[in-house]
Amino acid sequence: MSDLKNNTHKIGVYVCDCGSNIAGMVDVPEVVKFASTLPNVAIAREHKYMCSDPGQDTIKKDIKELGLTRVVVSSCSPLMHEPTFRNAVQDAGLNQYLFQMANIREQCSWVTEDRIKATEKAKKLVAAAVERVILHEPLKLKEVAVNPNVLVVGGGIAGIEAALQIANSGKKVYLVEKSPSIGGHMAQLDKTFPTLDCSACILTPKMVQVGRHPNIELMSYSEVTDVSGFVGNFKVKVKKKSKFVEQEKCKACGDCEKECPVERDDEYEMKMKKRKAIYRYFPQAVPNTFLIDKTERPPCKITCPIEQDASGYTALIAQKKYQQAIDLVRKKNPLPIVCSRVCYHPCETACRRGDLDEPISICHLKRFLVDWEMEKPEERYKKPEIKNEREEKVAIIGSGPAGLACAYDLRLLGYQPTIFEELDVVGGMLHTGIPEYRLPKKLLKKEIDRMKDLGIKIKTNTKIGKNFTLGNLKKQGFDAVFIATGAHKGLKMKIPGEELAGVFDGVEFLREVSLGKKMEVGKRVAVIGGGNTAVDVARTVWRLGADEVNIVYRRTIKEMPAAAHEIEETQKEGIKITYLTAPLEIIQKNGKVSGIKCIKMKLGEPDSSGRRRPVPVEGSEHEIKSDMVIAAVSQAPDLSFMDPSLQLKVSKWETLETDPLTMVTNQEGVFAGGDLVTGPATVVEALACGKRAAISIDRYLNNLPLDSKPIIEAGLGRKSKDDIPKIDVKEKYKDKPRKPRMQIPGLSIKERAGNFKEVELSIPEKLALEEASRCLQCGPCVECFECVRVCEAKAVNHSLADQTVELDVGAVVIATGFDTYDPVLAPQYGYKKYDNVLTSMEFERLSHAGGVTGGRILLKNGKEPESVAILHCIGSRDENANEYCSRVCCMYSLKFAHLVKEKTPAKVYELYIDMRSFGKGYEEFYKRLMHEGVLFVRGKGAEITDVVENEEEKGKLIVKCEDTLLGFVRRIPVDMVILSTGLQPQKDVAEVTRLFTIQRSRDGFFLEKHPKLAPVATATDGVFLAGACQGPKDIPDSVAQGAGAAANVIAMIDKGVVSIEPIVSYIDPEKCAGCKLCLTLCPYNAIEFNQEKKVSQVQEALCKGCGTCVASCPSGVPIQYGFRDEQILAEIEGALESETLAVNK
Amino acid sequence: MNQKGFEPKIIGFLCTWCSYTGADMAGTSRMKYPSNIVIVRVMCSGRIDPTFVLKAFQDGADGVLIAGCHPGDCHYINGNMKTMRRYPLMVKLLEGFGIEKERIRLEWVSAAEGEKFSTVVKDFTAKVKKIGPLNWSVQAGVSKEASSPGLKEARL
Repeated sequence: MSDLKNNTHKIGVYVCDCGSNIAGMVDVPEVVKFASTLPNVAIAREHKYMCSDPGQDTIKKDIKELGLTRVVVSSCSPLMHEPTFRNAVQDAGLNQYLFQMANIREQCSWVTEDRIKATEKAKKLVAAAVERVILHEPLKLKEVAVNPNVLVVGGGIAGIEAALQIANSGKKVYLVEKSPSIGGHMAQLDKTFPTLDCSACILTPKMVQVGRHPNIELMSYSEVTDVSGFVGNFKVKVKKKSKFVEQEKCKACGDCEKECPVERDDEYEMKMKKRKAIYRYFPQAVPNTFLIDKTERPPCKITCPIEQDASGYTALIAQKKYQQAIDLVRKKNPLPIVCSRVCYHPCETACRRGDLDEPISICHLKRFLVDWEMEKPEERYKKPEIKNEREEKVAIIGSGPAGLACAYDLRLLGYQPTIFEELDVVGGMLHTGIPEYRLPKKLLKKEIDRMKDLGIKIKTNTKIGKNFTLGNLKKQGFDAVFIATGAHKGLKMKIPGEELAGVFDGVEFLREVSLGKKMEVGKRVAVIGGGNTAVDVARTVWRLGADEVNIVYRRTIKEMPAAAHEIEETQKEGIKITYLTAPLEIIQKNGKVSGIKCIKMKLGEPDSSGRRRPVPVEGSEHEIKSDMVIAAVSQAPDLSFMDPSLQLKVSKWETLETDPLTMVTNQEGVFAGGDLVTGPATVVEALACGKRAAISIDRYLNNLPLDSKPIIEAGLGRKSKDDIPKIDVKEKYKDKPRKPRMQIPGLSIKERAGNFKEVELSIPEKLALEEASRCLQCGPCVECFECVRVCEAKAVNHSLADQTVELDVGAVVIATGFDTYDPVLAPQYGYKKYDNVLTSMEFERLSHAGGVTGGRILLKNGKEPESVAILHCIGSRDENANEYCSRVCCMYSLKFAHLVKEKTPAKVYELYIDMRSFGKGYEEFYKRLMHEGVLFVRGKGAEITDVVENEEEKGKLIVKCEDTLLGFVRRIPVDMVILSTGLQPQKDVAEVTRLFTIQRSRDGFFLEKHPKLAPVATATDGVFLAGACQGPKDIPDSVAQGAGAAANVIAMIDKGVVSIEPIVSYIDPEKCAGCKLCLTLCPYNAIEFNQEKKVSQVQEALCKGCGTCVASCPSGVPIQYGFRDEQILAEIEGALESETLAVNK
Repeated sequence: MNQKGFEPKIIGFLCTWCSYTGADMAGTSRMKYPSNIVIVRVMCSGRIDPTFVLKAFQDGADGVLIAGCHPGDCHYINGNMKTMRRYPLMVKLLEGFGIEKERIRLEWVSAAEGEKFSTVVKDFTAKVKKIGPLNWSVQAGVSKEASSPGLKEARL
């Protein structure tokens, strides 16, 4: 570096007058005089316009004739003319980087008020530049090849124009559009000003052209998620959201739409109409396909362990499509009759309606369906079809819900399952654990008989380890084994006295009762525990005639694991629950139980399960009198059947270990599930285990590797709350009328005593219909699959997933458009308060032939308006909203006036501040409207009210305003008000700004490179702007900008290469200590560590020249070309010591 | 100290993409501010080496302004965040040298914020004016010749 300074230099300094822009405030001759006194300055000159050809020629001439080695131009901002002067320097044979600019216009003459001070500052800037340029070194521009593919973001008219122009020049264009169709706002407009052509008529041919263009790859319903790289070589990630309809197959016939039960506000129709959950964005949409709105997915379905289509069958019930509903239930659930009675329904806990008032009674709606089916089973029960029979035999040990589910699914796949059951009865815990009053045995038998009818073999009284061993099953010709023997062993309380007569185990007790054994119960019975077993035991004992039943539980009702409605029923039946009490010892009298010694508990710190741990209260020992004690504390699997030769892995909780999703044990071909694996859990969780195992066994028998993916795809993965998209239910559904959930009919307490009749009764149809119609259909798609059923083209596919694609492009055109001002923010206009106050976009849809009224301009009551007021500048030219003029509102307001006049006899008022009709044919259109009899009132509408002051105003909306021409305040009674809402940046403008590292101007729109001379370029090379995303624009301007951006892009690509500033970093390997600090700081991972030399190295191609590594190296090794430390330090020195420098010469 | 008639010398280090463009915007919009500030352009505020700041004070600056893109808007992804992290350390170091922390300021100025830039410069100039001259090299008793080569080599 030092060699650069050693040479004596000849510097030329050129100070520009810029007309009077600089010379008007800076004493240019004085600056020139000063510059000529600076060291190394060979010549200093003044010029009127340095950027002009003569100005540039002066530099060139001096370089040649005087042999200048460095050049300083002191004029405008380098962001403006640095390239101009660099070219001039280069043309004269000097390296273009031996040049520096001093910005004495934007940062001096234009911002300073005092001529002397401005001149002083200009001198400092010149001195700084001179000092700096001495240390400049020749650099070479980097040239990189340009990828000829182009990304256009946004499919409005500007994006369409840009895409078509670029594609027509033979380049490949990726057009990414966020909404399901291209067309943008223009597709929503009725007519266009001032020619009044139909917007769709002129737009749709262009849209179709885009759709058909061989060079355009249209990605609708897609968003750019990541951008990296640089001009000529961008890497872009695009997320293509799933439409759940296969685009190539969809014929857009609309059959699906007719069957869909879900209605949603139609965004395209400005929410004035409804659309279905499966819909087409609008009839002329491109691409013209349907899509399904699944933005918020139903949590009831997602949380269900078997992903039962809860919202689907609920919606079908509401439509009285009971057959489709029960078919949908049976598609995934092998035991719907059981589940409709005993499921712990996590779906209801997750139901979004619960955040509003009460969750949908989903479980009981299923009960309604199975009862409906049982009314005429021969007609309504559809026996599943087994398509291809297979020979493989699968042994299933245990006939509980897990075993039954596994057998059922395997049988449907064509396999030959055989269930081995130890007891005489089938159903496992369903039979022996769940009391008759909750699940009548005859109903369970019905489901099991149907399974047998399908060809599932069930061998009762066959105990593993006794009648057969796992080891010899294979010899008997079984190809795979599923073990689901449950958790039937009651755990001990581990307190003294447990062995006494009169002390029972809860699971055993229920089993004995269910098997029909006469059980003598005591008069005062205590049940220890707080789970479902404890509650079942207590209610059973009560039915068997005990005088007093007391559940003793060590925590409070909040921690009780039993289902809430079960606890409620228990209390209704008069069963006492003693909370915060733990047994210490069973007390006996004459060898029989006489009571329990208990201790009071209090809640301490939460334990690993999150429940607060009970702690004994000292000295609170007391006795609970009872003559029978039933312990229902917990259950565990009985592992005595285990064949030690099999060496199945057992966990420390005495459960069998398997893969959590594939359910395979440590032994090939042996699978397990249900309580045996999970520990005591619920019926539906056991079903999920069985279904998972069936998928794995199928793969195993087809010699496919076991994989959790198909299990997750089948909806049988582990469920987590995070899977549910979060929404603010209270806000979103605030208008939904509140309604409590249905009351389930049931037996009175009297009717229950002394018998085991089913407590809950059938649900009347009317009640079920009402309950089903409470569903918010929050998915919004309820996944009833009616669309799949009716689609002849088989295009609907609910399992299509989102896709992310990576694109390589050389240039980007951003044409993301605008949003309209929301007049809710200006409450004085009564938008949303009064029915007939519309926004401009709403009026477009009202007036459009395809809109809600078929193009007739009608009030909400269906009548034609007699008078209409159009209020200009809502959200524009307003310091409380947007300061700028939105440029299109005056003209579209005139168009509205014309449309109202054309279609109705109404009087039309235009309330304007200033009329801005600046475009081609615009002023003429304004004149025409004046002749059409529109009443123009100069003055901004101040308020809309329905408070009347006289007879004439009755039933009208009154527009208050000041007529600034007449000079008084007016009250104009009208029937309809149209708010001409302004344009503002899109909601996601900040994200797009960040993605493409571009800037925004003060109004929030994207910032162009130069407001006059580079209106479609941005500061980021290779990224261009088109349309209203850069600022409010009408259609002709947007199209012009689209074409302009296209021209920029085409020119860049056709050149083939782009020049990149060589201002990259360099690390001297001789000096680098290898600390790797710079590696972590580099935003582009452009620095790699050379393991061999143990030094960091800059990969030039990746370096973008921010210089962060240079500023942070502890040993000061990296340099940035063009921004070396020495150069900047010299610049600082020059700026601060300009006076000393000059004197020194 | 007599502060009447005292005109502080201020150096502003500005990133090219947001703050320098913002300063240009102030000019294009003819928003006036005191002429005390002289701007040094760097590509990213992340390039601003603490040495630059020390050098400015040593060469007679009374105040130093650093400006970059708003957090999240950095043209180089997150260079400004590195400046933000470096800044408190730099202030602490300067305080160790006896330089009041009011003499240095970090601001986020976007390309659109010409008005903000002008307001910041006005306010900062007034504040530095109030504190008075720094004369750091004189105070510290180091001559420029003795310290300058050292400064160029020494790092923080």
